[in-house]
Amino acid sequence: MIRLVRAEFTKLRTTRLIYGMAAVMAAFAVLTVAANILDRQGAPPLAADSLPMLVGGPVTLLSGAALLLGILGMAGEFRHQTVTQTFLVTPDRGRVVAAKLVAYPLAGIALALSILAFTAAVATGWLAAKGITPSLLDARLGRVLLGAVLAAGLCGLVGVGVAALVRNQVAALVGVLVWVLLVEGLLMSLLNPPSLGKWLPSAAAAALTNPGGGQLSRLAGTLLLAGYALALALAGTRLVVRRDIT
Amino acid sequence: MAVITIDGLTKRFGNIVAVDDLSFAVDQGTVVGFLGPNGAGKTTTLRTLLGLVTPTAGSARIDGKPYRALADPIRHVGAVLEASSFHPGRSARHHLRVVATAAGLPLARVDQVLDQVALTQAAHRRVGGFSLGMRQRLGLATALLGDPQVLILDEPANGLDPEGVHWLRGLLRQLADQGHTVLVSSHVLAEVAQTVDQVVIIASGRLVTQSTLAALTARTDQLVRVRTPQAETLRSLLAAQGIQANPDGADQLLVIGATTETVGQTAAAAGIVIYEMGAERSNLEDVFLQLTSQQGAGS
Repeated sequence: MIRLVRAEFTKLRTTRLIYGMAAVMAAFAVLTVAANILDRQGAPPLAADSLPMLVGGPVTLLSGAALLLGILGMAGEFRHQTVTQTFLVTPDRGRVVAAKLVAYPLAGIALALSILAFTAAVATGWLAAKGITPSLLDARLGRVLLGAVLAAGLCGLVGVGVAALVRNQVAALVGVLVWVLLVEGLLMSLLNPPSLGKWLPSAAAAALTNPGGGQLSRLAGTLLLAGYALALALAGTRLVVRRDIT
Repeated sequence: MAVITIDGLTKRFGNIVAVDDLSFAVDQGTVVGFLGPNGAGKTTTLRTLLGLVTPTAGSARIDGKPYRALADPIRHVGAVLEASSFHPGRSARHHLRVVATAAGLPLARVDQVLDQVALTQAAHRRVGGFSLGMRQRLGLATALLGDPQVLILDEPANGLDPEGVHWLRGLLRQLADQGHTVLVSSHVLAEVAQTVDQVVIIASGRLVTQSTLAALTARTDQLVRVRTPQAETLRSLLAAQGIQANPDGADQLLVIGATTETVGQTAAAAGIVIYEMGAERSNLEDVFLQLTSQQGAGS
């Protein structure tokens, strides 16, 4: 099993995808820091405790990146037909999916942590230039990082699960976008009472990154999102194990 | 001893029967050509043998076990399927490293197999820029990675230039000499005729024949080509003796399974003028076409 996870990491390291994503995320991180520092309308003035807010800027997008990694890691095998070779090496397909369920969440977490470290460095530098010395030993910063790690890991899990279920890369990507942008919004407006909306996957993910409001607690959000991810992964694995690779 | 056993194998995709009650066996240390026209069911059979496709009925086994039950399949069986199953953005060397890592093989094997298929120069190039021939070589390198005793190759000569086909023959012969068991599919008999010990011919998913290449060669016919202005008269005279002759152009006949002596005597007895006559042999390709088209017409 360890060698299968290592093989997934080798796959990830040997194409340009992950480097391209890291570059895009880093650029976006700089943009969020700039936007949060330059546009202070209605917000409290910058202070030593502004760092967690600045670092938290790219967290939601990083969850999306982890989701994307999971989808591309699983559905990409079908798109490029590399799944044939993968299953020739490991005919026990359940183990292949399991290795991906381990590898891509970890990759999503690693990506999120490196981008957040970069974001923290940019934000600290910018604040220092304004004569503010933020503290890195801020409990709220720890909570931002914890939320980001949980959300990225679980979104990576969901991504692999969705792609195992759908197999077609374009369909998986479009499906997830349609779900997040349209279906959940529609469900939100139809649900009665509206507070049921907190049980939707996006709301569960939001409970990890932006706790508070009418959302679930972070623990409940974690369990709920993990539940969605495992249900998708189990259903997907069953299909992948049974279907013919032609 | 049979290494590969296909037993009553049937595979249906919806209403289409791709493989229809197919049975044959491949003995250890033999090189067997798996032949049939495009769409005959060769690829489906091989994919079933490799555990990628689940049979509707029957079984396909290697050393008595389904592929999925083999403990370390890639050290046991090497396979080359279609040439497109590489990530275009990954280099040849990295592709092999991924496979070696997943299979727990030493990474030193990667450079060895690259050398074996003469791809060392292109090892660091992305596969997306590879020619079809280079992809076939990379596929073979992947198959050889685990140093397997059994090789299953699906149309490995596709996309190879004449030099590549020559190289492939050399490699197959070398593998055969080392005692490997090889099942190699092709839709062109000539591609494999120089290398294989036996042939399994299928058409429309069904077995047409399994025989040694020598037995197949023995089925080639003695042909006599005759040019005469009285072709139709000669044809009926030969038919009366139970000899088949087919018109071939306005004033030519192609006589099957007869000698020039028989044809000459028949013509002389009836006073038929002969302008030209010569003996020929049908080739293996004719036999192959004849065998597969009969089966195709019957279904």
